[in-house]
Amino acid sequence: MSRSTSRRIGGQGLWVWPPVAFVLVLVVVPLVYIALFSVGLRSNIPGTKTAFDLSNWKDFLFGENNPFRNLFWHSLLITVLVSVAVTIAAYPLAYFLSFVARKNRYTLLLLVLAPFFTSFLLRVIAWQIILNENGVVNSFLWWAHLRPQGDSVTWLIYSNFSVALVLFYSWIPFVALPMFVVMENMDRRLLEAAEDLGASRFTSFLKVTLPLSIPGIIAGFVFVLIPTTGEFITPLLVGGPESQLFGNQIQSFFSDSPDWNYGSVLAMTLILLVLILMLVFGRFLSADLRRPAAEVS
Amino acid sequence: MTGRLGSSLLWIYFVLMVAFLFLPLAVLVLFAFNSGTTPTLPIQGFTTKWFTDAFSNTDLTSALLRSAAIGVLASVVATALGIMAAIGLNAKRVPGEPVAIGALLLPLVVPYISLAVGMLILLQALHFKNALWEIALGHAVIALPFALLVILPRLRSLDGSLNEAARDLGASDFAAFRLVTFPLLLPALLSSFIICFSTSFDEFAIASFLYPSGQPTYPVFLYGGARSPAILPQLIAIGTLVIAISLLIVGLSELGRRWAERRIEGRTSASVDVSSADTLATT
Amino acid sequence: MTDTNINRRQFLGGALGVAAGAGALAACGSPDSGTATSTAPSTAPSTSRPPIASEPGKMSLLDWAGYEAAGTKAQTAGMTVAGSDYIKKYGPDSVTYTYIENDDQALQKATASGGFDIMHPCFENFQDYVDRDLVQPWDLNLIPSAADIDPGLLAKGTKDGKTYMLPWDWGYGSLTYRTDHVDAADATGWELAWNPKYAGRISLWGGASTNFEIAAIKAGIQDMDHLTADQLETCKQDLIKQKPLNKFYWDSEYGQMQPAIKSGTVWIAYSWQDTLVSMKSAGVPVAYLDPSQGRIAWFCGFMLGKDTQNYYHAHEYVESFLNKAACAQMTNAYAYGTSNSKVTSADITDKALAASLHIDDLAALTGPTVHLQSWNPDRAKVLAAWQQVKAS
Repeated sequence: MSRSTSRRIGGQGLWVWPPVAFVLVLVVVPLVYIALFSVGLRSNIPGTKTAFDLSNWKDFLFGENNPFRNLFWHSLLITVLVSVAVTIAAYPLAYFLSFVARKNRYTLLLLVLAPFFTSFLLRVIAWQIILNENGVVNSFLWWAHLRPQGDSVTWLIYSNFSVALVLFYSWIPFVALPMFVVMENMDRRLLEAAEDLGASRFTSFLKVTLPLSIPGIIAGFVFVLIPTTGEFITPLLVGGPESQLFGNQIQSFFSDSPDWNYGSVLAMTLILLVLILMLVFGRFLSADLRRPAAEVS
Repeated sequence: MTGRLGSSLLWIYFVLMVAFLFLPLAVLVLFAFNSGTTPTLPIQGFTTKWFTDAFSNTDLTSALLRSAAIGVLASVVATALGIMAAIGLNAKRVPGEPVAIGALLLPLVVPYISLAVGMLILLQALHFKNALWEIALGHAVIALPFALLVILPRLRSLDGSLNEAARDLGASDFAAFRLVTFPLLLPALLSSFIICFSTSFDEFAIASFLYPSGQPTYPVFLYGGARSPAILPQLIAIGTLVIAISLLIVGLSELGRRWAERRIEGRTSASVDVSSADTLATT
Repeated sequence: MTDTNINRRQFLGGALGVAAGAGALAACGSPDSGTATSTAPSTAPSTSRPPIASEPGKMSLLDWAGYEAAGTKAQTAGMTVAGSDYIKKYGPDSVTYTYIENDDQALQKATASGGFDIMHPCFENFQDYVDRDLVQPWDLNLIPSAADIDPGLLAKGTKDGKTYMLPWDWGYGSLTYRTDHVDAADATGWELAWNPKYAGRISLWGGASTNFEIAAIKAGIQDMDHLTADQLETCKQDLIKQKPLNKFYWDSEYGQMQPAIKSGTVWIAYSWQDTLVSMKSAGVPVAYLDPSQGRIAWFCGFMLGKDTQNYYHAHEYVESFLNKAACAQMTNAYAYGTSNSKVTSADITDKALAASLHIDDLAALTGPTVHLQSWNPDRAKVLAAWQQVKAS
């Protein structure tokens, strides 16, 4: 890029502020309202006296055997397990695309990504159709006389299994992508050197490829972890009463209950969790927004 | 690098995985044309009844139209703001750049459910009734980072000398943008529009909290109908169409991207200078 | 690639800085909207009201699925008379419905999104709608059939001499169960929903307060709508115990619960007696539990939106539901009772069913063997406890 461009467009840095203001009004102010609700400074019930009050936070954080805190940890555990499973399953896909399918890799990558570009809600509904008690799987079993008519496999739906399966399904393509990018940028000469030095294919994978793809693995892991922490649609459609996640509890607080103050504590917790995750993993997520390094100097 | 056995295993894994990924889509297509009233095996027979039913279901079609309108509004707003943000961040000196970047990317990481309830309580505090335009603005803000991430790299890759030439020929800043930068950005703007539109068209969390009574968006309607066997076949039929259109767009935009890249590479090297100069001269 | 990454400190620093700035703005700048109550006078003099011809005419209703005015929805096949006068005059596109999933959510919806011309809540929430200033009184002079409403019921819908609720339908809440799967010996009382033998085959309703009422009745608590803290805790623990036995908490009667009973996914579900009628007509072997502890009873009615622009349309609409022919057909279609005192046992076709459910006798609604769902002053506490049940 030529230096003159930057000089010419230089006075236009102020253009960034209208979009920033837009985000401020529509994202940051709502988040601030959640924060105010969570400490009792605002209320949705007309006529309620509002005052700074940490009792909801205290109850959530320190209350004995608090069900919402338990649910938070339970959800986080499920989310982490699903993220790990997705990452493990997606790695061979990325490896395949980058190292085995060299010639057609972009076409094949598009094939993997294509379902991700279709409606998420529709795909969850499709799973519901597949897993239902009288759904595709069960009706197939009856039809093939593998099970007596009407006797369905009940854990297929409204269970932790169905929630985990659909979450797993939804995120695989998305996680394969950052891994693929990292592998594509790998210095292949290192691998050749390793093999020249007599390393077996497996050893060179273990000692060179795998360590070099760690940034991609972590990025992929975070790519699924962050959005699934707030997931609520999947449990709503394929989960039962015992397999609802933290996001569902937030949704429930704001749609069925008048206690938005307590609901805000949960909503805020989720935001803080995501910010902490960004703090820990942010460096692995590349977003090409700063000026290229060459120009900064 | 990978042995033959390893390659074969990976091929098998890949094929199985792709099958797994497409399975739900295939199931939808299958039952969209199945004459049985419930989506169960065995398949009963072929019918296009569900499509006819779906298109005569005004609740469903009006939800689709609503979502389309919201999607257009959201993507126009997000893309316009994305252009502004990209121009701003492309400048040499951006006052408060870290804050700006932080704010612009914030919608990417904030959980939609938290954002949705935040918008709900904010709007209620301001005594606003639920409205479709509120959903459109909410969608615009979550789509904004996508617009920016698509537009900014394209803007950076443009050759600045064209812009400069335009100004040397007497074009104002705005004219230079309109006549030179904007046409070159068009492919990116189109991508941005498509991405923003599909983000909005599929968004459930914000819409489910902000939709006005009796006016559900398509995903809200879909969610309500998903558990209702009576209209499920219609939803499957429409869903098949929606998915087909998405896949078509994915395919076309990939082709379009390749085509545009080839074309722009050709033009920027020589011809474009002349033609833009001509255009400017006539202005 | 790495050198163009956003530095995470930069990102977070930026984001947090932005948040802090906006926080300061919101804290000092905005009016104290949380405590401010809008106290606009709600009783505009009727002379200033535009005539019916000047009203927009498109009405938005908050109603239960199945109660759509005739001809506007396929599933109303059973109930074709109610609303037909209105639809004949104004066309099926003149009304849109938002469905009530449960009473608590309906109240939330009416408060949050508002803008309904007519709402159809039940007696238990009557006072909430009035207190929250969501409704305005009906003008009974505009509704000829209002004179036929049972005076006792009408009185319950009246506050300070103004009639806010026009009662229309009444019935019971109990468990519908599949007689081919559930042992008759187990179908004694509400404890059927707690029977581990049927784990995964039970579905209670997503209606928070109703579930607490069920738990209270089961525990033998006399006043299910005035629970002491200890009683609330007992009910909560009992519901937590019951939760894993549910396939799901249903939230759509026709969409979810009835199909699940039909397909055998669910054998025992909380329901109203219309489920018994529709399952029987579909040939599904079911019975409607008469619990030893007594059934739940309810009545619901029409309320007029405070800000409606369709004042006269709304009155015409409810008249098309309150007239005798409409009420009689509703009773026959759903086996619900009606508020219209002109409907007598002679109008009811299924005499046996009528006798077993006493739907021709309004006294059954307040009798000693049922528990009428009534206003709970501590509903917020019940709902908070329900959130805990869901999280547990």
